[in-house]
Amino acid sequence: MPENPFPLSKPDLQKAYRIMRTIREFEERLHVEFAKGDIPGFVHLYAGEEACAAGIMLHLTDRDRIASTHRGHGHCIAKGVGVREMMAEIYGKATGACHGKGGSMHIADLGKGMMGANGILGAGAPLICGAGIAAKFRGDGGVGITFFGDGASNQGMVLESMNLAAIWNLPVIFVVENNGYAESTSVDYATAVDSYIDRASGFGLPGVSVDGTDFFGVYEAAGEIIRRAREGGGPSLLECKMIRFFGHFEGDAQTYKAKNENEDNRAHRDCLKSFAVRVTQAGVIGSEELEAIDREVGRLIDEAVASAKAAPLPTPRDLVTDVYVSY
Amino acid sequence: MAPTVGIIANPASARDIRRVVASATGLQIADRANIVLRVLAAVASCGIEEVLVMPETGGIRGHVVRGIERWRNQREKRYPHVTFLDMPVTGTVEDTKLAARLMHSAGVACIVVLGGDGTHRAVASECGRVPIAGISTGTNNAFPDHREPTITGLAAGLAVMEHIPEHVAFCANKRLDVVVNGLPPEHALVDVALVTDAYVGARALWRTHTFRELYVTFADPQVIGMAGIAGLIEPVSRKEAGGLMMRLAPAANAKLVVRAPIAPGLIDLIGIDEWRRMPADTSFEPCLKEGSIALDGERELFFSRHDQVSIKLVENAFRIVDVAGVMQFAAHHGLLRSEQSHLAEATT
Repeated sequence: MPENPFPLSKPDLQKAYRIMRTIREFEERLHVEFAKGDIPGFVHLYAGEEACAAGIMLHLTDRDRIASTHRGHGHCIAKGVGVREMMAEIYGKATGACHGKGGSMHIADLGKGMMGANGILGAGAPLICGAGIAAKFRGDGGVGITFFGDGASNQGMVLESMNLAAIWNLPVIFVVENNGYAESTSVDYATAVDSYIDRASGFGLPGVSVDGTDFFGVYEAAGEIIRRAREGGGPSLLECKMIRFFGHFEGDAQTYKAKNENEDNRAHRDCLKSFAVRVTQAGVIGSEELEAIDREVGRLIDEAVASAKAAPLPTPRDLVTDVYVSY
Repeated sequence: MAPTVGIIANPASARDIRRVVASATGLQIADRANIVLRVLAAVASCGIEEVLVMPETGGIRGHVVRGIERWRNQREKRYPHVTFLDMPVTGTVEDTKLAARLMHSAGVACIVVLGGDGTHRAVASECGRVPIAGISTGTNNAFPDHREPTITGLAAGLAVMEHIPEHVAFCANKRLDVVVNGLPPEHALVDVALVTDAYVGARALWRTHTFRELYVTFADPQVIGMAGIAGLIEPVSRKEAGGLMMRLAPAANAKLVVRAPIAPGLIDLIGIDEWRRMPADTSFEPCLKEGSIALDGERELFFSRHDQVSIKLVENAFRIVDVAGVMQFAAHHGLLRSEQSHLAEATT
């Protein structure tokens, strides 16, 4: 057996692949199911961006908090939220992660440190500062990570949060998932300060930019940034340059993209394919082992969809529960 | 007609992990654009009328166009005519390579490059005998000298306006060629390092215990990074023949260690097993059988025990503008001096 040249053990590499494959299958299946009209509300799919969620979240435990975005399914899965509960939530069923009251854009699981997807662009940034303060007071080495897109980076609260995190030296990381489009508006048009790293340095935060389609690039950079935050080194920003295979939302005609852009991305910038090639060529994981994970994940998603469809809807009486939290 | 000058400015240099693991700075996009404007003003003052510029989507272009318009609004002719190359922009190093090829085809007399060692490497691989005038906007830059870009622009302008003998204006540079399995060589301008990490990952080199072999075109104790490590052991100048090769080891296992600045603000112990001069045109086969190959300080390729790797130093591989030589010549020959005849009476 060849020596493992990677910074992860074989079980961790398999775990990384399983997370990314689960996200991909979850989103590809939602793309099909949403078109049937059974799913209420909107869904924003994360397919193509899996390496970012997996590369970051593999460094975290349940004590670490994340605040997600409207495109939050990948973050949820990588943070350990149950796939069946997620699917049921998206279908608006009582067995869902939030009892069917949140839907795609409000999936949360505090036990897993997932503070919630969020329909308000950039709103995760101030929330994660709160998580950062809590972790700092507890002194347990926990960190908070907020994700936002290139469009949401222009929201005032994101900038205010960077300032707050800097002056209080919070164990917080701002992750810009730069997929090039704010809904349908190109980042080149919509962002006056052209580099997110420049923006971070304006608040005295170090910023790092990586290829968000390269799992190992994200994993290595995120590891250093998270270690730094855990040890009291303070906040920082990580820009992951990535692509999304689908539109902003399901039903988006994507007329703002170049002809064949999605096909080219799937052919040449698929993070799952590049990961598989790398680990199989190194002889660390066999292609048959990856295929077994593919089959296992396929069955999991089939079951999740079937159980979500069969699950009951919330009742009118549920309308007045879970409104306030007792403490 | 005055010759045309090219400018290639990389918006993506100085963005890597060394901002976190070391104390490296990042040069803001607006500052990079400001450097382009300074170079444009400098070459214009030497009589250059046409400049070709690489387009990019990182933001430099917008700031440059705005800067030129602002001076034009004030009715000042400070800049030459600027044309952005008509080419697709991918946001990758391929843009730099394509721009260098297009500028070479367009017959530019010189290419001013803003970037790190990697950007300069990409230009050098495509520009043929067109000389490069380098400006450092990267992290661990050993190749481009650190100086005010206006001076680099002035030297580039003076050099290509043929006010200066060619042997003074330009000088030849060494290069390292890395061949894997007989494929076309990858180039490095300063250093090739072999490290035990067999993945590219975050690219930068900072975990010194992974360093195993180092090949440099020059070794300078005044720079940071891999060429600095070599420079602290046995300096080799840019202009002398050959380079240096070293076998490295984790500091804990080595009889000899050197305390070297491997990144901005990051000084660490490197174990040294042996070193020797590296003559030109001689292939070296590494002892390390599996790992990655870093070109000019960034992991670019990985290799296994099944791969055949060889490294060779090439003399006179490409040309650069000798900024110091040009400015000395200009001073000694009064190239930037002139008599103002209408004031002659008043001063005598």
